[in-house]
Order: sequence, then C-alpha cells, then structure tokens
Amino acid sequence: MATNVETLGSLELFKEMEYEALEDLAQIMQPLKVTEGEVLTLRGKQAQIFFIILSGNFMVSFSHDRALTLHNRGALMGLSTVITPFLYTGTVTALTDGEVLSMPGSTFWDFLQNNSALGDKILQKIKSMILERKNFFI
Amino acid sequence: MYGLEAISNHNGWAMAVVGISIVFSGLLVLSFAISQLHKFIDLWENRKAHLQNMKELLQTKVKEEKPDYNFSFSRDVEESVHLITKRMGEPFSLPRLIDISKKFGLATPHSTINELIKADLIIPDGKGYFYWNTKKTL
Repeated sequence: MATNVETLGSLELFKEMEYEALEDLAQIMQPLKVTEGEVLTLRGKQAQIFFIILSGNFMVSFSHDRALTLHNRGALMGLSTVITPFLYTGTVTALTDGEVLSMPGSTFWDFLQNNSALGDKILQKIKSMILERKNFFI
Repeated sequence: MYGLEAISNHNGWAMAVVGISIVFSGLLVLSFAISQLHKFIDLWENRKAHLQNMKELLQTKVKEEKPDYNFSFSRDVEESVHLITKRMGEPFSLPRLIDISKKFGLATPHSTINELIKADLIIPDGKGYFYWNTKKTL
C-alpha cells in the first residue's frame, strides 16, 4: 500500500515539495506498523532502508551502550542509507507500538538524484540531523 | 431584715453561686492557658521552621489534589526501575536498563521506560546516557 500524499506533505522534511513530486515519492514510500520491542535496524549491518516516524516512540542505540530516544513525528531513522559506507551506525528499537514510513535507500538515492534541487535541500536537512546525533556515535 | 434571711430574700445564694462559677471558670481558662504557654513560646521561637513546614504541607496537598501526569505505570513499577538504575549507577545506559528490566520480569520494559522518559523521571545527559531525575516525584 502506497503512502498518502497528504501524510507526506505534512512532514517537515517534505514541506517544500511540490504536489507532483510528493505523488512520486508517495508511490515509493511504504507505511509500516511496528510493535513494541521490534528492531528496525541493526548497528553495523548494511543500511538498506530509511524510516520516517509517523507515530510511536523509538530508541536508537549506538556503541558503548549509548542511546537517544525519538518521540516526534517526522524524525528520521536509518540515515546511514544515504551516507558512506552505508552501514547502520545505530540499532533502532520501537519503544511503543507505532507507524513509520519506509523506503529502500537505493530508491531514495535515485529520487534525490532525479530531483536535484529538492534533493540538495533534503540532504542538507539530513546532514544537520546527523550533526545533532554526532556525539552519540563517535 | 438581717443575716441569712436577707441573703435569701435578695437572691444572695444564687448570686454567690454565679459569682463562684464565674471565678472558677476564669481560673480554669487561665490555668489551661498557662499550661499551654510553652507551646506558644516554642511556636514563636521556631516560627520560621513552622512556617516552612506549613508551606510544604500545603504544597504537598496541592500536588495530591492536582496531579500533572497521566501515566499507566504504577508506583511499584517506578520503584522497581529506580532500584535497577541505582544498582547500575549513574549515568546509566538505556539499552542495558531495558535488558535488565526484562530479566527482572518487567512485563513491557520498552513502553514502561518510554513512559518514565516522558514523565521526566528518566532524563538524558546529552551524551547518550541517562539519569534518574531525583527532583521529580509522581
């Protein structure tokens, strides 16, 4: 089942996107229900899927037992799908039941390359999020 | 008319009884006041401490009447998790806290710890570890 365009448009990351681009993106993003304790990514494994929180609460755990928690709609997980060496730096675990949008990293890369102006803006936002989390995985 | 006859005729006995009653009542009140005098002196000498106690008592009552939380975990669960964090030492690791809570038989460790975070009982140190917020009590 494809994602609702309005749902995508309401997310901070895609706010500046035009409707047509959102429609394209909605076709490739899949909504996914998650349950408490479910693991979405594993640290050190190849980063293949990128997630956006629609609802629920998540914990990202890093090396040395460090962790951060994500509680807000629109927060991103699996950022390593767009950063070399494309290995997850954290393990994402659902703290509660919730819903996420998922997209294969390679598809996301293609989308960013095909929409270069928008892709730059999205990558800038992702970069700032990575910088915020830098302390946790260094 | 003189003597006892005169006293009787002019309600002297009744007046005597009323007079005696008034004097005794006065003496009773006076003796009670004197017996409690040390308490008033203590109250005056330690007035600052007593005022503080009074304020704390009022604040506690206000807190009891108007709780600012609505979480599903019980006081027992809160105490159990707090004990675990005490044994782990601070700052503690969130993933380890979840693992240990699971081993101790906590039914839904992920969501319980998420609620403790949302209740500000568990707070991040900004470096990937967490503290128990001793200033916050439910």
